[in-house]
Amino acid sequence: MSAETFRTPGGLRRRAQKLEINKLRDRGPVDEELVDRFLARHQVPIIEGERATFLYRGDADEVWVRHRVVGLPDPLPLRRIGSSSLWAATCDLPTGSRVEYQLETRRGDHYERFNDPLNPRLAASPLGSSSVCAAIGYAVPEWVHHDPEAREGELVSEVVRSKALRRDQEVLLYLPARFNRAARYPLLIVHDGTDYLGYTMMQTVLDNLIHRLDIAPMIVAFVPPRDRLKEYPNHAPHARFIARELLPLLTERFPLQDNPSGRTLMGSSFGGIAALSTAVRYPGVFGSLFLQSASLVFTDIGTDHGGGPAFDPVVKFMNKYRAKPTAPVDRIFMTCGIYEPLITPNRSMVPVFRSTGMTVKYTEARDGHNWENWRDQLRDGLSWLHPGPQLFVYE
Amino acid sequence: MRTILLGPQRFQVTAPAALRSLGVDGPVATINSGWEEREDVVEELDAALDGRAVHLRLHHRMEDVLAKDPTFAASALAFRDRHDDLLTSYRLRLHHALDGVYAVQRRAAAGHGRSFGAVDDAIEGLRAIDQWYLRTLRVLYEDMREVAPLESSGVIGWHRGEIEALLSRCAVLVMPGGHVGTLLRTLRLFAVEIPEAMPVIAWSAGAMALTERVVLFHDLGPEGASETEVHDAGLGRIKGFIALPHARRRLLLDDKARCSVFARRFMERHCVLLDDGVILEIDAEGALPAGARVLGLDGAIHEVQPR
Repeated sequence: MSAETFRTPGGLRRRAQKLEINKLRDRGPVDEELVDRFLARHQVPIIEGERATFLYRGDADEVWVRHRVVGLPDPLPLRRIGSSSLWAATCDLPTGSRVEYQLETRRGDHYERFNDPLNPRLAASPLGSSSVCAAIGYAVPEWVHHDPEAREGELVSEVVRSKALRRDQEVLLYLPARFNRAARYPLLIVHDGTDYLGYTMMQTVLDNLIHRLDIAPMIVAFVPPRDRLKEYPNHAPHARFIARELLPLLTERFPLQDNPSGRTLMGSSFGGIAALSTAVRYPGVFGSLFLQSASLVFTDIGTDHGGGPAFDPVVKFMNKYRAKPTAPVDRIFMTCGIYEPLITPNRSMVPVFRSTGMTVKYTEARDGHNWENWRDQLRDGLSWLHPGPQLFVYE
Repeated sequence: MRTILLGPQRFQVTAPAALRSLGVDGPVATINSGWEEREDVVEELDAALDGRAVHLRLHHRMEDVLAKDPTFAASALAFRDRHDDLLTSYRLRLHHALDGVYAVQRRAAAGHGRSFGAVDDAIEGLRAIDQWYLRTLRVLYEDMREVAPLESSGVIGWHRGEIEALLSRCAVLVMPGGHVGTLLRTLRLFAVEIPEAMPVIAWSAGAMALTERVVLFHDLGPEGASETEVHDAGLGRIKGFIALPHARRRLLLDDKARCSVFARRFMERHCVLLDDGVILEIDAEGALPAGARVLGLDGAIHEVQPR
């Protein structure tokens, strides 16, 4: 196969390099020794420009890449290279993209899904881990990693007796380094709190961003759910707990900014719906929302939303909100992954929110519905909602 | 009156040379309360000042006042809440007003139709918002003084006396950078008055605090450009300037349209760039020396010409 030519955005014609996997194919019969040498030379998946080649080595009748990237075929079939044990599939992967995936094999009637054994890079989530494929131009933000110079905040576990929820509710409280009772702090309430701590390294992120003056020192209440699918989609007891029990308790016990602009509700996916619906039930109590890939699913006609029964209360809430949009907060920071199915409802809701007079900042990432995507957007969202003192500091 | 403004000292240390150029012996008072809780970490500063430093420790004193004077502490918190509220409204108004300025500026630049002086008028709107903010801030200060008069606080009075005494036996005052809000707060709390005859060397936030009006700016923050905002009145030792430390690191100086709005918004004052290596001695009449770099109304950087 000859090299192809293509036109760059700047209009220059370039000779595209032949993909490594095609070079291997073109060499003629591929034996296992050649496969050994090929795999020893390449990181998997192989990233070449804006193309990604996924590989699998092993005995199988069929092999697929399984992912949730909207726009790419799922499953994405791999083809065997000659009669060797190596399988490959190549797809587009635009600059800056980050994709989580697994491999699936079929041997007779037996199907198996697993992380890519040739790729050590993994992402964790409550549903287990996945392999990660990062395109050129993607880098894990440096503020995610532990910075020895950043002073560490304190994480305190509390149990709050909730009349609204009729149970004890655990809350993990983050107090920033150099916590000072003479100061006033913004309050951030985070849905899926323990997942944010575990899968986005949010405690480290907060320490680092506060140390770098990117965000204001703040108090953060990480609230884990008990029955997420019931409590998060517009659930009155949950909203009452957040607005009428947790907030007054924290206001009494900690030196918080005593106005709505100092209070933000945050959540991803269903947690985003929990944040929005709580704000809608208690308008004017919170000043801001930080919504990450929020499950803002709605229908324009009928009830066939395609999300299954768990989404019924979401759609009911969203349809009602869309019929009569209100401005429960002043500001919303919204993020969504371009490759996730929720991109369409999220994009659709931006003008609806704006039409109510709320200030909405909306950003997209070339990523999917996952925790590392939400982690990567933390600095943009938190620094917009509660900017640090950078504006004041001139060393 | 001798005042020397320097560029940031992190990469090009010019403070020792500036101090020597004054040819003055004796102790050197320092006000580095902008360093906040790092106020006492002064080894490098001591070395730069030939071991002559007398640190006034205004941040430490403010903490002492907050701990010992509950009336003042409560009124300071109440003031802060009201100021936060005011800032929320100010920033909201600025955000929309600046959007309007840039929109008509783009239209005028593209040559669409007649501009009818829309850009100038829109900038006047910005200036009116700045004035409103400063007027309201003055009212907040007056209210605070009424609730908790600083003069009636024993602990504040004690610190003020000590600061005055320390300052009176020093030959020079040095004001480094840091958090300009904290620096101004401490200067105001202790009513620091710098004798006219006392030479001053200041950089970064210290230089800003010496001016009549402190303007905050950061076009390159984590969330992109933030709106430039007026913060407060400064000491007013030097008049007719707005100090812009770290201008190259903090301003989109290549964006002439944006810089033009900046300069025209504060057109009654020179917007002076204080980048690394800058040494500006303000002359007896309070004028900038030749070669000082300022933002022009056209958004470009100009050098002050010899008079």
